[in-house]
Amino acid sequence: MSISVKKSSQTDGYAIITRWMADKGNQPFSFQEKTWAAYASGKSGMVVAPTGFGKTFSVFLAVLQDFMNQPEKYRAGLKLIWVTPIRSLAKDLARAMQEAINEIGLDWVVDVRNGDTDVKRKQQQSKQMPDVLLVTPESLHLLLAQKARNKFFKSLRCVAVDEWHELLGTKRGVMIELALAYLRHNYAKLRIWGITATIGNLDQALEVLIPAPMKGVKIVATEKKKIDIQPVYPDEVEVLPWAGHMGGKLVEQVVPIILASKSTILFTNTRGQSEMWYQLLLEAYPDFAGQIALHHGSIDGAIREWIEDALSEGKLKAVVSTSSLDLGVDFKPVDTVIQIGSSKGVARFMQRAGRSGHSPFEVSKIYVVPTHSLELIEVAALKEAVKNNTIESRDPMVQTFDVLVQFLVTIALGGGFRPAELMTTMKDTHAFSYLTEEEWSWCLFFITRGGQIGANYEEFHKVVENEEGLMVVTKRRIAMLHRMNLGVIVSEAMMRVRFTSGGYVGMIEEYFISKLKAGDKFILAGRVLELVRIKEMTTYVRLSSGKAITPSWLGGRLPLSSNLSHFLRQKLARSVHPSAKEQELRFLHPLFARQQSFSHIPAEDEFLVELIVTKEGYHLFMYPFEGRLIHEVMAALMAYRISRFSPISFSMAMNDYGFELFSDTEISLNEDQLQSILSAENLMEDVLSSINSTEMAKRKFRDIAVIAGMVVQTFPGAQKNNKSLQSSSGIIFQVLEDHDPQNLLLRQAYTEVFNQQLEEPRLQSAFKRINTSKIIFRFATGFTPLSFPIKVDSMRQSLSSEDLATRIRRMQESGGRPGKRR
Amino acid sequence: MKNIQEQEIDFAGEKLVLTNQRALYWPAENTIILSDLHVGKAAHFRKSGIALPQQVATRDMERLRDLITHYHPEKVLITGDLLHAGMNSEVALLKDIIQENDSCKFLLVKGNHDRLSDRAFEELGIRILADGYAIGNIHFTHGDRQFSAGIHSISGHLHPGIHVAVGRKSTMRFPCFVVSDTQLILPAFSLFSGLDTSCVPEGAFCYAIYEDGLFAVSC
Repeated sequence: MSISVKKSSQTDGYAIITRWMADKGNQPFSFQEKTWAAYASGKSGMVVAPTGFGKTFSVFLAVLQDFMNQPEKYRAGLKLIWVTPIRSLAKDLARAMQEAINEIGLDWVVDVRNGDTDVKRKQQQSKQMPDVLLVTPESLHLLLAQKARNKFFKSLRCVAVDEWHELLGTKRGVMIELALAYLRHNYAKLRIWGITATIGNLDQALEVLIPAPMKGVKIVATEKKKIDIQPVYPDEVEVLPWAGHMGGKLVEQVVPIILASKSTILFTNTRGQSEMWYQLLLEAYPDFAGQIALHHGSIDGAIREWIEDALSEGKLKAVVSTSSLDLGVDFKPVDTVIQIGSSKGVARFMQRAGRSGHSPFEVSKIYVVPTHSLELIEVAALKEAVKNNTIESRDPMVQTFDVLVQFLVTIALGGGFRPAELMTTMKDTHAFSYLTEEEWSWCLFFITRGGQIGANYEEFHKVVENEEGLMVVTKRRIAMLHRMNLGVIVSEAMMRVRFTSGGYVGMIEEYFISKLKAGDKFILAGRVLELVRIKEMTTYVRLSSGKAITPSWLGGRLPLSSNLSHFLRQKLARSVHPSAKEQELRFLHPLFARQQSFSHIPAEDEFLVELIVTKEGYHLFMYPFEGRLIHEVMAALMAYRISRFSPISFSMAMNDYGFELFSDTEISLNEDQLQSILSAENLMEDVLSSINSTEMAKRKFRDIAVIAGMVVQTFPGAQKNNKSLQSSSGIIFQVLEDHDPQNLLLRQAYTEVFNQQLEEPRLQSAFKRINTSKIIFRFATGFTPLSFPIKVDSMRQSLSSEDLATRIRRMQESGGRPGKRR
Repeated sequence: MKNIQEQEIDFAGEKLVLTNQRALYWPAENTIILSDLHVGKAAHFRKSGIALPQQVATRDMERLRDLITHYHPEKVLITGDLLHAGMNSEVALLKDIIQENDSCKFLLVKGNHDRLSDRAFEELGIRILADGYAIGNIHFTHGDRQFSAGIHSISGHLHPGIHVAVGRKSTMRFPCFVVSDTQLILPAFSLFSGLDTSCVPEGAFCYAIYEDGLFAVSC
């Protein structure tokens, strides 16, 4: 389709906007002009552009132009809703927008509404909406839960969804889909615009945001961000690389990089790693004290805000962070980014690189510090992926009934709905396009009667039908509970950490603290703290020094993306004869030489299996390069299939490259047997027999139960109000398993296990690839460079197919009393 | 008969039988002793619009009925938190059990959740005992208040649980009876209840409960 840039460029609005830009020394990029033209012709769409090129202004200025060209079509009230995934983005964005409006000479008001907005401000907004409102997906839903929602949206012309790639593929993305569908159906002329960075499935991203029959245009910026990737080489190659061992040594080489830069962000993958690097830097260069800071999710919000401001103002030399700084406002002074360890994915890597050299024509400079020498292959792989611009896809979630039932209550709360009408609306979303009549009735039954089982539900009045046939919420208490718990982000039970002398340090997972006793020391926010006492969800500490435990936070370990693993295999295969440009591979030559002489380096169409016999016992290694999660499933599957030949028990270890099965009894396996255990036949059946899928589903159900409103989440500080309503999702899961196996939320838990935990499609394709590969089976008597990091990995698990009763009997028979976790 | 596994212990010079149904039986007194039934909890949740299956409540009541059929006790003694939140439809299930067993006495030492008046309990057929009521030299209390040391007591309130290592890296949580020289803490009878794994005092013995039995863990 063609968009007439020419026509739109003859309007007054265009002239005013471009003059304003010219005054600031800017010229519109062609994708901005295209966006303005498309908007002017009434279209919806999606803008794809790298960060730093003004993609925000492409859509925002389009709305301003449209208004200036035809002000008669706009009424007083809220005209533009701007959705951002994170709160911290909203504040600065609002400031920039208001500034532009003022300079251009309009009288529009921009305001923010999210969890940080105080109640008074919200009340003012409800009385009189600003012209532009910046919200999060959650606060948008909260607006829909207000009785006055029709008043709010009557003048609405456009909803813009910023950083759509961050939301797509999450339940928050589904929240956006639902809200947009509702608004579209009620306000016919609404335009929807998405703004996204490049991802693998852009067309699908557009289709999800703007589903048929509406048609959206995709506007892709031709401008490209230049990224300069520099590996930090260790002094010598360790031929037996040890995960995590090397990183710390490289601090000596990281310090000069920081000193040579204006301002640096160091990205780590876990909070534990960030705490460690903060300490390492201070030890290596004590003058950094006061010049560097630590930023991660467990640090007090106010401190984080201070750090972000200081970074913007150029007051900090470096900030050590986790993904907590992946997104957010531009930090102009930042000219260098350092990635510690693997970034695990191309998209994340580019996102992080983009945090330096923010203005359009600057080069983003990123250094990669490997935590073991094999990670240097990853640098080579990343370079290749960035060059080819092959970025991961974000698969949108579908049939997430927990989000749907929550949304139904939200809509019931804000004035009610008619079921038949709303069902049509919901079916217009990508997430629920396959919603059946039965599923819909089930959801209605769930919110009105509490579910399928049990006859005696006279107390249940969550949603009721009123005289006009509208489904509504009438009870204040239910309304309040729903508003308080709205959203799809389910957090671990967290505890506040405070000094006994007063002062707030941050948040920490309850399960970590529950393992400590008074006097134990741990590290948080870069400080050594001694636990004094725990009282009412608050941990009291005092400053201390000396040896302390760094908490290992749950969910810290991201798996390698399939995209990156493809390039890894490719680079590894090429490592025998690297080109002159592939410096990382040349540097690793001693390691590859050892791998080649002791075992083998797999070519792209080969699959390597090593059987290594040591004094300890028998180690079977396989290298699918599919990431830790998939390897966990594969290892369990291999163990299961081997034990069908003869009973044997294993312990397993894995990293992103491969996995190990270890047994102290002989693993006897011939080539034919190896072929058969690697077969893709009966794959999922065998997987299900080899893992405890019920246990996995139970864990997934935890979030689902919270989102669907079956479990009330505890908020620190607020938990007292809800104490009599606390329950465990595990108990509910068990009851549903026993009495209501067809419960949609229960089924959803299993589906999530298949799609997310077992990654069924990826597993299938991995086995397909292995089956078409030549299987290379090697024996060795010492560890090879590829096997060593897996062997020393601490995340070792043992595999036991015995049921609980057998395990307890065995513990009793072994004479020893079962150990108790402190 | 349903799945009832037993473990005999000595406490305060008496023989008591712990069961995997989270209740204990005192043969000499022909009494079942249990705590923290939280009857009506699921209904209380539903009143607040939280969808919970009816079975959450009926399961507990079926277990109580099974215990009574099995032991034919003269007395059922509850050390508090019988009702979670006042009167509601689920309390009727308890009332049914009390009426079915009119030869059995139901006794209650009130807990922090039992906010109904003594008279309301009497009307349900439950006799209220004073806090610290004693049979022989064993005293009964809910457990939310300090009890003078040296006195043998049976209490509830805490919902005790214990972590047990079941492999090199993994642990599991079990509800348990906690037994020390002078104190016996009962597990919460209701399956719809959480566990407190930090309340077990040093030197006490725990009897962890699982589906098919009990096992001892020393702390």
